[in-house]
Amino acid sequence: MSKNENKVKIMPRAVVCEDSNIRGDVTISSGSVVHTSAQIIAESGPIIIGENCIIEEYAKIIHRIPTNHKLYQENPEKPHVLVIGSNNIFEVGCTVEALKIGEKNIFESKSYVSPDVTISSGCVIGAGCQLFGEQHLTENTVIYGKTCQQREALDKQGSHMLQLDFLRKILPNYHHLRKPVDIKSKTTFATSTPK
Amino acid sequence: MDFFLSKKIVEYACLCGVLSPLTKLYFCRHCLNLRCAFCCHHEVDSHFCSNCLENIPSSEAKLRKNKCNTCFDCPSCQATLSARATSIQVPMSTKGEGGDETDEGSASNKMVTKKMYYLACLACRWTSRDVGISDQTSQTCSWPEQEYFHSTRFQLLSEHFQAVVLCDKEEKQDYLRRKTVKTSKFPSMTDRTGLTVASIRRQIGFDKSAPKAKPKPTNITPSIATSEVEDLPDEIFTKPVNLKNITTIKQRLAQPANQPETVKHLYPQHKNLSIKRSLRCRHCEHNVIKPEYNPSSIKYRIQLFASNHVPEVRFVKADPFKIGESASIILKIINPTINDMTITIMDLPTEDEEKMAIEEMRKTFDKSVSIATKSSLTPSIMRPSLIEDPRMVDCKITGKIELPDSSFVVNQRDDSAEFDDDIQGDRQDPRFIIWRKANKVEIKLNVIPCDGLKKDDDIITGFTMQFTYSNVHTSTPEKESQGLRHALNVRVYINPGKISE
Repeated sequence: MSKNENKVKIMPRAVVCEDSNIRGDVTISSGSVVHTSAQIIAESGPIIIGENCIIEEYAKIIHRIPTNHKLYQENPEKPHVLVIGSNNIFEVGCTVEALKIGEKNIFESKSYVSPDVTISSGCVIGAGCQLFGEQHLTENTVIYGKTCQQREALDKQGSHMLQLDFLRKILPNYHHLRKPVDIKSKTTFATSTPK
Repeated sequence: MDFFLSKKIVEYACLCGVLSPLTKLYFCRHCLNLRCAFCCHHEVDSHFCSNCLENIPSSEAKLRKNKCNTCFDCPSCQATLSARATSIQVPMSTKGEGGDETDEGSASNKMVTKKMYYLACLACRWTSRDVGISDQTSQTCSWPEQEYFHSTRFQLLSEHFQAVVLCDKEEKQDYLRRKTVKTSKFPSMTDRTGLTVASIRRQIGFDKSAPKAKPKPTNITPSIATSEVEDLPDEIFTKPVNLKNITTIKQRLAQPANQPETVKHLYPQHKNLSIKRSLRCRHCEHNVIKPEYNPSSIKYRIQLFASNHVPEVRFVKADPFKIGESASIILKIINPTINDMTITIMDLPTEDEEKMAIEEMRKTFDKSVSIATKSSLTPSIMRPSLIEDPRMVDCKITGKIELPDSSFVVNQRDDSAEFDDDIQGDRQDPRFIIWRKANKVEIKLNVIPCDGLKKDDDIITGFTMQFTYSNVHTSTPEKESQGLRHALNVRVYINPGKISE
């Protein structure tokens, strides 16, 4: 797959700003919101983003398997799909290169997750925390503080539906949006023009 | 700004021999000297909570163990907890609660949303629900206090020892009373006969009550030390440890009363109070720093920061240093006051000179202290403060500055000057001044590294800066006619870099 090939699939009801940087084979499921200047880069294979995710400004989701990674050394030709579960929040300026992400996770501002990390569900990567090294985050792990301390939350973090509804209402007023694809009729929806 | 000033490149010497950057120094305008934090009295002005900004009197603060009643710290990460509201549906409380069951159907229709609060940490997402504290109806107070296993024992112990102290005190007073010699030279009649005032009173029948029983300390069961410790559980070495459930040392020490081992026992901790403190010069007992009393105010009533009074020296750049060759360094000197300053750069005192100056200072201190102790005017609470002993500066000079041949003037600070056009003064500047604007001057000086230095050795150079200081605020009106200009000396030490070759 060439790197420049853009096959962006945006499901209906997803709100994707036009100024976002999406490269490669990326599928954005319905209900998700992608802000301006967010980056989603699929280099080593397709990215599928689940429902009701929020990807904020300057957030980077990169699917790039490094050459010294286990997956690459086993079979460099085999395409790998990065599936990101539903209800994830990628806050401002985070960089996520993890190759497996569950649902209901929160990546706080300026956090970094390396490709060696796999993330289950309900995890929180605190602001500025950097995760390197091969590890698996069990469910409801919270990583916080300067020294990346870990603790386990009792249950998953609260729902962000109110915020999503607000963003879906507000974003079209101020930004050009990418056209979602209607899979059945293969026609595009009319873009909403900024008021 | 503190970032580049706090880097230890340019430092000023205090009397006590400590070098510190200008931002950490104070200027006593009564002694006209630099004072570092060690040369000042630190006094607690007021206690307040940094979260709710409530001012708490010191007696009450002591009673509350220096903790705020309403605010809490996260037991997991020590950030401040905030109360979060959730609304829950509760059936409307009908007055006839013990009514028949048909009533219940109508009651359940009338659902009322009620706000419930729980504590949550915004940093690590710890919530009070994590440890099973039920939600509360009110935002403040009413949070259940944690009960400690040893609290009653500690209560008993503290009561006991308070009684012991009281007892000791009384015995001492009693002893002193008996021991004091009678002032009268003549033997008292009652002394010989054993007839005391008290016994007479008793005989006459004035005082029927028995003499007051002395408060005796309550008996307390002493703690018993034991060498027998419970054995470790068998699985301690085989069971895998889940570090997420075990508290860190920091978390345990934040909760000193019970020092929990598992995260299940982390309880919200009352927030520690902060203080507003004022600094007082130890030599003249005048305030150097005095903040406003109101906790929400960040202003000062008295603020004698050195950076507002003493010219600031900033290191701009230096040529690479080579052994035995002089290199030029460029310094920027900034006048923070509203009067023009004449600055002279002089040599640092030699070791002998410094010793002599210290001896002289000691003599004057001794005098002033003896006067202070003799005079009965000083209130007894205001003890004459211990004056920091002047010491030598512990800093070896490895580079010598070639002194400029003349002094120079740095203009006053004028906040409106930066909006004016660049007006070049018609002042004839000496050669070493390479740049001048408003209240800033850049000078170029030559530094010769001392002999015997190797590559990568630090160059430390310094000079005594004499500057004219106009004391605007003065308490002695008779001196006003004399212009109030003082020539003050500060010793400046600069570390411009390492020897490159």
